[in-house]
Amino acid sequence: MNIKSVLESLLFAWGEPLSIIEMSKILEKPADSIILVLDEMISEFNDNEDRGLIIQKFGDSYQLTTKKANYEYIQNLLETTVSKSLSTAALETLSIIAYKQPVTKVDIERIRGVKCSQVVKGLIDKGLIKEVGRLDKPGRPVIFATTDEFLRHFGLSSIDELPSIGDIASTVEV
Amino acid sequence: MDYSVNINVFQGPFDLLFHLIEKKEIDIYDIPISEITDQYLEYLEEMMQFNMNVASEFIFMAATLVEIKSQMLLPQKEKEEDPRQELVNKLLEYKMYKDLSEELKKYEDESSFYISKPREEMAITSDTKTEQLSLNEINVYELYNIYLSLIKKQNFRIEPEEKFKIYREKYSVKGCMEDIVKKIKKFGKVSLFNTLKEKENISKEYIVTLFLAILELSNNKGMKIYQENIYGDIIITKQERK
Repeated sequence: MNIKSVLESLLFAWGEPLSIIEMSKILEKPADSIILVLDEMISEFNDNEDRGLIIQKFGDSYQLTTKKANYEYIQNLLETTVSKSLSTAALETLSIIAYKQPVTKVDIERIRGVKCSQVVKGLIDKGLIKEVGRLDKPGRPVIFATTDEFLRHFGLSSIDELPSIGDIASTVEV
Repeated sequence: MDYSVNINVFQGPFDLLFHLIEKKEIDIYDIPISEITDQYLEYLEEMMQFNMNVASEFIFMAATLVEIKSQMLLPQKEKEEDPRQELVNKLLEYKMYKDLSEELKKYEDESSFYISKPREEMAITSDTKTEQLSLNEINVYELYNIYLSLIKKQNFRIEPEEKFKIYREKYSVKGCMEDIVKKIKKFGKVSLFNTLKEKENISKEYIVTLFLAILELSNNKGMKIYQENIYGDIIITKQERK
């Protein structure tokens, strides 16, 4: 079995981000070895100027996407659709969750100064955040964290790629 | 239907306050609380003039501002914390996340340049030789032919149809009712348990039929049916006429 070849086919057939766990199960190989192969493939794909596809890593999942450089050509081919970008409320809520996770809704509401139930629900429906348990405090509030889909939406390979709070905080000092 | 329109979309009271602070180029660590409070209230009034539903959070902030303003008027002891401090801390924290969310927005915009495919409804059939047929293009005769060829191919043995026997009802509700009525005439009352015991082999069918018969009889006004305790015997007698 040629692992690289199989992985490429799997990524193409699946389309959406495919998790290491899934690939490891199908190939019957340990996850570590698959990650090594995928990392190799990423540099082979992404550094090859003659190819139009790259492999992107989002947390524990990998996905075939087109190259950014080819965007304008693809754009001419596709119908323009309504932008799928998030509302300001959603972005504010997400940034609090991303940096403070795991975090309760009350914490989010305290920082934003407004009720957030609808926004939180919307983010869950979009798969950008998920419940990750309950806090061992009175009322046992649900705590939320971001998902791999969150990473995919923002093109991050891991949560550590977010700009650090320090960089932002220095600009806040008015 | 209720429409609440958000002009100059402020995400909340902190957002509005920050907007006012930035507009006036105010030092956030030394907010002229009186001025800001006036402007904040002015804005709320404007919102109400447009018949907008002012969220309770905005009103709460107005109350907080007025409270801070009144505290500022009181003579302050030296060691006491600036009454504005808590508000400033909250504003700064909110501002930090607001800025972070604007950073996130950049990442979101950037990621939209990479195009990927959603998962398609692909399924791979285990028997690749099977032709894919669209049900729209097929009529009932073709379907029948396919069925026959499948049966042949798969060597399905079609079992000869089983013959069903129709049994005559052994017991009828009507018959059981008549039996009970006869017994009542003879003995005055009938016990369900004793009636069952009379048969050598009690079949489920008989129990059900007898029970249905008793239920039928309960419709009959001349009958009295009672049970002395739960799960106890059921006794059927004639209703005594008064």
